Amino acid sequence: MTEPDPQSPSSTPDNIPAPAGRGVSRRRFFQGAAGGVAVGALGAGGAWAASTTSATPPAAADTDVVDLTRQVAFYDATHQAGIQTRPQRYAVFMTFDMATGTTATDLQTLLARWSAACARLMSRQAIGTVEPSRVDAVAQDSGEASGLEPASLTVTVGLGPGLFDERFGLKSKRPQLLSALPALPSDRLQPELTGGDLSLQACANDPQVAYHAVRNLARMVRGTAQTRWTVLGFGRASAGRGQQTPRNLMGFKDGTRNVSVGGVGDDDEHVWVTDDDWMTGGTYQVARKISMNLEIWDADPVSDQQEIFGRSKLEGAPLSGKDEHDVPDFSAKTASGKLAIGPTSHIALAAHENNNGTKILRRGYNYTDGLNSVGQLDAGLLFLAYMKDPAQFVTLQRKLGRADRLNEYIAHIGSAVFAVPPSPRTGHYLAEGLFT
Amino acid sequence: MPVNPTRRWLFVVASASVVCLALTACGGNGADAGGDTAVTAGTSAAVAPVSNGAAQVRVTATQKNGKDTCLLDHASAATGPVTFTVSNTDSTGITEIELLSDARILGEKENLAPGLAPVTFTATLSGGTYQIYCPGADPETQPFTVTGRAAATPTGSTQVVLADGVTGYAAYVRGVITDMQGAVAQLRTAVDSGDVVASKKAYATLRPYYEKVESDVEGFIEPGADPTKNAGNLDYLVDMRGSNLDPEVGWTGMHAIERDLWQGGAITPQTKKYAADLQTDIGKLTAVARTLTYKPEDLANGAAGLLEEVQSGKITGEEEAFSHLDLVDFSANVEGAQQAFSFLEPGLMTIDPALTAQITAQFTLVRNQLSTYRDASQLGGFKPYTAALRATDAAALSKAVQGLQDPLSRIAEKVATAR
Repeated sequence: MTEPDPQSPSSTPDNIPAPAGRGVSRRRFFQGAAGGVAVGALGAGGAWAASTTSATPPAAADTDVVDLTRQVAFYDATHQAGIQTRPQRYAVFMTFDMATGTTATDLQTLLARWSAACARLMSRQAIGTVEPSRVDAVAQDSGEASGLEPASLTVTVGLGPGLFDERFGLKSKRPQLLSALPALPSDRLQPELTGGDLSLQACANDPQVAYHAVRNLARMVRGTAQTRWTVLGFGRASAGRGQQTPRNLMGFKDGTRNVSVGGVGDDDEHVWVTDDDWMTGGTYQVARKISMNLEIWDADPVSDQQEIFGRSKLEGAPLSGKDEHDVPDFSAKTASGKLAIGPTSHIALAAHENNNGTKILRRGYNYTDGLNSVGQLDAGLLFLAYMKDPAQFVTLQRKLGRADRLNEYIAHIGSAVFAVPPSPRTGHYLAEGLFT
Repeated sequence: MPVNPTRRWLFVVASASVVCLALTACGGNGADAGGDTAVTAGTSAAVAPVSNGAAQVRVTATQKNGKDTCLLDHASAATGPVTFTVSNTDSTGITEIELLSDARILGEKENLAPGLAPVTFTATLSGGTYQIYCPGADPETQPFTVTGRAAATPTGSTQVVLADGVTGYAAYVRGVITDMQGAVAQLRTAVDSGDVVASKKAYATLRPYYEKVESDVEGFIEPGADPTKNAGNLDYLVDMRGSNLDPEVGWTGMHAIERDLWQGGAITPQTKKYAADLQTDIGKLTAVARTLTYKPEDLANGAAGLLEEVQSGKITGEEEAFSHLDLVDFSANVEGAQQAFSFLEPGLMTIDPALTAQITAQFTLVRNQLSTYRDASQLGGFKPYTAALRATDAAALSKAVQGLQDPLSRIAEKVATAR
């Protein structure tokens, strides 16, 4: 295991610099021109050096540099990785059902085996033999990540409400706020894209590393847990601390006002469970698969698109201001006396100012499933969000589902909620408190 | 001098660097480790203490200097029952340990992971050298010595049980083959008579015999035929499908007859030729199959192979594209796999009872699921596997088979190395 390096002030809480001597500069990758990030003036080391000398969040240009050699710690991290970790470029999200007839012991073994395997995967180790020495033996690890860098892989494990029904005798251990999400306005959920007893969110800066992780974790538990639904995210759609705000497939910046966690003055009080037995230090994960009618959206005049979001397209400034990070003024009016940011625009409905301060940590990814049955782009947003109470999401989505002008162009087709236990200590496993 | 109690590492001076971490049972409690010699030769010589009628050995999977390692508190025991208590304190890489005697598995524990409670297994060992094998550890294999000479266990017992099973399976295959020859004769008679309904019935009767033993006859070629050509590949000639046609050979065999009966709805002179050729080819195939001998791992690999057939041919509806008898084939594949497995089961039970139980349970799940499709009024006794049924049910069927496939794929290695 790579240990966090206290000598390196560039470490974010769970993002560990590569061990020395790994040929860092050769492997450092820079975001291309498409992202509009200026990196030319910074040397390979300089990019991180810049962030180490400043107490303020580093400039976006610095932190959009992808260093594939970085690893994230699995054990001893208070919160599971993959939540406050700066969003990586790619994600594989999958949910599972416990198989018929499985017992609490099967679930315990699954969580223990998954924990050990996640720790290995995140530190660039195969979960077992790729090339067994015995004839007639099948491999434990499928091998397609052999030789690849860790790519900041994080695997985040969630527990669905179904685990606390009568099947496993765990009713008394149910996280206080975990229950299936209620039906919400405008839901167009497809049953095969909803729910699950378990979730895996694997994020990495190399898509093959993320896919390998989920594939092998799924394989390890076949017979105990069966796959339910999955989404492959090909590009991050939410900003993390200090990252340049990415765009969703509608071309708009997403996450300008996202909450930041794990630092001084951050919004941790919205995200982490602080007093709930074994769930303390955990959080709740809401996953929604949101499809977008991209052909129709693209035919909408940009002026209308901007009014729908309440922001300008390129800069991402609220329509009441000039710059992306200007605080939206929901009472500002245009010369003609109209509200600058319409009351049914996306940001007006979602803003914490208009929701009694409700905030959630969004960590979404753009997805595509190719083409639909009539030859249109089948794509959208894998909405992933973390919060200390799923009611936070319900509050926001009730409002958005009812009135958001964006609803004309999107549909929530997949949905699930999970309790995300805290990070285990070395020698332990995720949600061990369920069994003690 | 006595071992310094604060320095709780005892090093073994033995061929493999077995390290004794100071667990409570470690040989540091005076009784085992008294005197100068105990420090140097002591730990390896310190015979595991006996309690509950068995020598007690602790095996601990842990991580040391970034490496996964298996620690033994005693590297030797007196002849007789030995209980190994296995725990994993913080090794992410070690998920199983095995007790071996010259590469034969005598006992094992799987699903080890940090944080889980210790598990135990007991083996009755006679004098000699054994190995503790921890895949993924450094070192992977460590010696374990049993002193004394009582032949406490009949050597080769598991092999004998497995060999009995193999003999039983060979008899099963011969029985199926005999039935298959009868069934193909009936199909030919029905086709020759021009009776489409009777021919369909005979086809549905023949198919399961082939599917039960398909993995045993896979890849059979006529003696002297070119292995790179399909013209002399008996398995291919008998069972080729529209989806894997070799234009050089053309379409013959069971599925060509299926096409004529269901798609064409008529028996032509060509259909009659197919039936005659099929009888000849099945005759050749069974002549070879009758002489087959098997090793335990052949049964294991064959069972896994039949389930692969289910996944690749039946669940997709590709096998019986015209008759939609895929669930009949599916059931036969599963039955063939279960036969192979149950002939291994008594031997496998002594090697890995947990895995054996898991596979048995998964077979039950698959068969229960399959039985929901039974319909005695239909040809072959199952609902037709139509495109509509496939669209709604294929995923669930595939998952059930997958849950069986994975544990089943692990038994070949076990039975091949059984003592």
